[in-house]
Amino acid sequence: MEKAYNVSSPPAFCVGANEKGNSSTYVTQPLSHGTAEAAARISKHVSRDATGCSDSRELGEAREDIGRSTVLVTDSPSGGTVSNCVIPEQGCDSATNGFTVSTMVGAKAGNSSAVAAVNREEMDGNALQRISLAEKNKESSAEEVDACHPPLNFVTAAETVESLTHSCNGQLELSCTAASRTVPEGLSNWDTDSVIQSTLSSDAVIRPPINWSMTPDKEAKMANGGLFIGHSSAKLHTETVVTIILDGAATCLSNTQCEKPSSIAMSAREGHHESCNIRVEPDGAGAQPRTQANIAGDLSGGATSNLTSQGLPSSPAPTKDPCRVTAKPDTIQGEEPSASGHLGDDLSSRPHPQALRTRTVPNSVSYDSTILSPGDEDGETFAELGTQGHSDRRFMDVSLSSRNTFESSRRQSAPGDIPEGLSVVSADPSELALQSKRPGIAEYFGRSLFPKKQREPKGPSQNVPGWKLFGKVPARESAPKDSRTIQQESTPDGLTSVSTPNLLSAGEFEARVGKAGPGGTSAGTSPTQPQQGRRKNLEFEPLSTTALILEDRPANLPAKSVEEAQRHRQEYDEMVAEAKKRELKEAQRKRKEMKERFKQEESIANAMVVWNNDILPNWENTRNTRRVRELWWQGLPPNVRGKVWSLAIGNELNITPELYEIFLSRAKERWRSFSETGSETEADDGASLADRESSLDLIKLDISRTFPPLFIFQKGGPYHDLLHSVLGAYTCYRPDVGYVQGMSFIAAVLILNLEEADAFIAFANLLNKPCQLAFFRVDHDLMLKYFAAFEVFFEENLPRLFNHFQSSNLTPDLYLIDWIFTLYSKSLPLDVACRVWDVFCRDGEEFLFRTGLGILRLYEDVLLQLDFIRSAQFLTRLPEDIGSDRLFACIAAAPMLNGNRKWSQVFHALIKDNKDMDRNCNPALKSL
Amino acid sequence: MDILWQYQFRIILLGDSTVGKSSLLKRFTDGIYSDVADPTVGVDFYARSLDIEPGIKIKLQLWDTAGQERFRSITTSYYRNSVGGLLVFDLTNHKTFDHVREWHKEVSEHILPHNMVYILIGHKSDLNKDRKVTQDEAEQLAAEMGIRYVETSAKCNSNVDRAFQLLSRDIYELMKMGQITTRDGWDGVKSGLTTRVLYPGDEDIELEPREKSCNC
Repeated sequence: MEKAYNVSSPPAFCVGANEKGNSSTYVTQPLSHGTAEAAARISKHVSRDATGCSDSRELGEAREDIGRSTVLVTDSPSGGTVSNCVIPEQGCDSATNGFTVSTMVGAKAGNSSAVAAVNREEMDGNALQRISLAEKNKESSAEEVDACHPPLNFVTAAETVESLTHSCNGQLELSCTAASRTVPEGLSNWDTDSVIQSTLSSDAVIRPPINWSMTPDKEAKMANGGLFIGHSSAKLHTETVVTIILDGAATCLSNTQCEKPSSIAMSAREGHHESCNIRVEPDGAGAQPRTQANIAGDLSGGATSNLTSQGLPSSPAPTKDPCRVTAKPDTIQGEEPSASGHLGDDLSSRPHPQALRTRTVPNSVSYDSTILSPGDEDGETFAELGTQGHSDRRFMDVSLSSRNTFESSRRQSAPGDIPEGLSVVSADPSELALQSKRPGIAEYFGRSLFPKKQREPKGPSQNVPGWKLFGKVPARESAPKDSRTIQQESTPDGLTSVSTPNLLSAGEFEARVGKAGPGGTSAGTSPTQPQQGRRKNLEFEPLSTTALILEDRPANLPAKSVEEAQRHRQEYDEMVAEAKKRELKEAQRKRKEMKERFKQEESIANAMVVWNNDILPNWENTRNTRRVRELWWQGLPPNVRGKVWSLAIGNELNITPELYEIFLSRAKERWRSFSETGSETEADDGASLADRESSLDLIKLDISRTFPPLFIFQKGGPYHDLLHSVLGAYTCYRPDVGYVQGMSFIAAVLILNLEEADAFIAFANLLNKPCQLAFFRVDHDLMLKYFAAFEVFFEENLPRLFNHFQSSNLTPDLYLIDWIFTLYSKSLPLDVACRVWDVFCRDGEEFLFRTGLGILRLYEDVLLQLDFIRSAQFLTRLPEDIGSDRLFACIAAAPMLNGNRKWSQVFHALIKDNKDMDRNCNPALKSL
Repeated sequence: MDILWQYQFRIILLGDSTVGKSSLLKRFTDGIYSDVADPTVGVDFYARSLDIEPGIKIKLQLWDTAGQERFRSITTSYYRNSVGGLLVFDLTNHKTFDHVREWHKEVSEHILPHNMVYILIGHKSDLNKDRKVTQDEAEQLAAEMGIRYVETSAKCNSNVDRAFQLLSRDIYELMKMGQITTRDGWDGVKSGLTTRVLYPGDEDIELEPREKSCNC
């Protein structure tokens, strides 16, 4: 049951900060068959991540705050074959029998609950996760400005989630991510009946269609407050929010038995009838509100449908919903705010507000779920649902609080207005306050620039004839793209969605549910049209100046003179104009950034799907195909990176995890005796005693000097011990090599992308490659051969620079040593270095030298102007802004061909007749 | 383009790993200090100019070497082209002090028949309470080797400039006395792009075009 391969490491996850600062992981027990180990393992990962995040650069400040991370893991009850867990950690291979795992984190900070979304940078692995914290403050809505970021992150998280493929019962490939959260007490809200198929945490139980087994007790267990975070920015404040995403899953069923304030958001993708659940009615059309709140979505065919159902159609734009639904059977989104007895008294008595805005974005669904810390028992859950219109890509914010307040957060920087159709209406005006703004400007971009892109990716997935649900066909392909799309779009618009600051109090739960369902284009677009006109009017109203009120003086003071009044008016106008300008600029800048990022993420997500679905399962057959090699060249998606590296590096040494443990314990022994006696007792193979002693010291010292800016390997950092262990075990495994400075960087990069034992295995095998062995044993003669071979290609590729270097006596050893020893991980930005590693794993040592040529080519013009010392300095401290694309373009332009000879031929020729070569070709040798 | 300089000295830093060679250089060339620095793998480069006496500007080309013994075979290849060497040890770690003699011996033997001008540096003088090497024993060792001794601290910026000044001045004096001369194929000392050269002669004339060709 261990999983075949790991599909799942999500790039992003949410971390919640808890004032207590204790990091604990909650894993909900597998419903039925779940394996305990898997859960434990997962939890381990998670906790590690959580800390990791806190330590990562960008977190910095957030660090202390982040303490607790909650993870919900659901296992498949039916003993489904393989499941991928969505765990923030990269290498979680954990095989849970069945179902997805969603990570949820609840954050509680003082009175304000903060939700932190951590976005893992694609390239950097965990280390570089970014965290954005959205602080919800009761008082200041201004803070919401920042809130716009979180949605992005969430989106990414959602992507990951989506990308997961699960197979339940071996029949279905499902990816489901659902996080449902209910307050512990909230259980009462749900009937035991309510079953949600797919992943689930808390009340809702998701299962593979076939076996449904829910036991109330389990439900109870699961119920912890939870959050859903999605793209969408609506916040529903109901006690229960359930979000389910089913992909390729047969059915999604959400049944909310809660009578009242329960909101359910479901999006089902590519699901089909077969796996319908009792509750779900596979109409294909969409939601069928049953009883109080019933959303059933059925998706058939490959298409994704978004459905929106409103249990209580009191929303202002009821008309639209139907449209969407009908138009796009693919996506289902349902939000049902129903008043429930559970909710605060106030709510229950009222007609509920229906703040439903569902906008479907084609093909994109993203969810993030966050679970609040159990401590929050108030049982207030906020769900933010945001849907984005296809063409407009707007974000709507709705927030429902149990107090019946709707708030849509505004983004100051990007003013927007809420399209009416989408806007939330509060039944209770007094209590519901809704503000939503949409940046009008953003729309333009969205409309004109993005639509194409959006549609392109969809096309294939939706149109693929013979789409299979059960087969290996990657059902998901479209999904990741979509979510990304959303993200991009949403941001520019100033997705305000995330913020619901005012409402949250310490005990409250926040749930954000974002949905972007792939709505049919037609449906998606139609609703947006009318809104545009309206938006335009409001478009440029700067939010920041709305607070300025021109009023006459109080009655007890003399009135303003006409001129004064005029002047004030004028000044006011100027200020407004100024503010508008600023905001415009800001919005533009943001948009640009987003666009770029979006693009990147899109390609990564696409690649990830391919890697997961096509390549990895079929590794030996596909690895050398042209298509794979090309894809490989473009960089591995971060969440398959570790896996691919492992596979590519191989395990010639046949090291097992057990063997690693043995060496590790041996290393620990040694450290102990060393620290006790002050010297090592063993005196064995290879290295001199002095060297070994210094090894132990050095490892310690170097660990803290490894990627210092990341703050994760330093003492007290999350990966400190790991790195120490891997390096220590290696010195025991290969005492003849021992620890050599530079190794810590290699081990660190591996640790960032692989599990501990796997990292060790990869590390040992990597260092066993001829080139690495030559360097780390400091076999000087052999190293010189490598340099000489490099110079052959250097001269071939860059004769001018080669001559320049020769004339200034700048030999390649001066810069290559550092590059090769650390495999560029110290010299290049980590993300770029990882890309180099990618291809290094594909092409072997040759690529290391080719990369060197690429760097020289990239900076040839600069280097030609520099003297010896400056060149040497430049090359040993490369610019930090080196971009991977530019670098790879230069690398691509440096074919490793000398005449007809390839690298290996040149190198071996050098080894053979070294004497001749020494004299003729290698200035480095001459000078040494 | 660099400011004009009369001479360029290539100076190498030697000493065990983690005695603070890189920190010392960072302080001297960039004026900064940070607690955490990358370990040096292979060799690293720094540069700074010093005014040794009015009108005489010396450009110091500083080679920072990896301290780990494993790298010794690499670093030895850089000894030959250096005119000066800083033998650095950690005042709080006696072992590093013990190794100084080895460093000195190894380098001196390696560059025979030529000489290198050394200075002994007791580093991390800010950690006085952890001091394991007394000033007396350090001075005694320096006397044995016939070289100067200076205690420095990169953290507190104590004596850092002075150490390099002293070494440079020593080298310069030796040059003036003719004990060190520029030689072809040797990068330890180069004369620069000025009219003031101590040893006008064939060598310098040969050297100058070379300098120009590499845009110095």
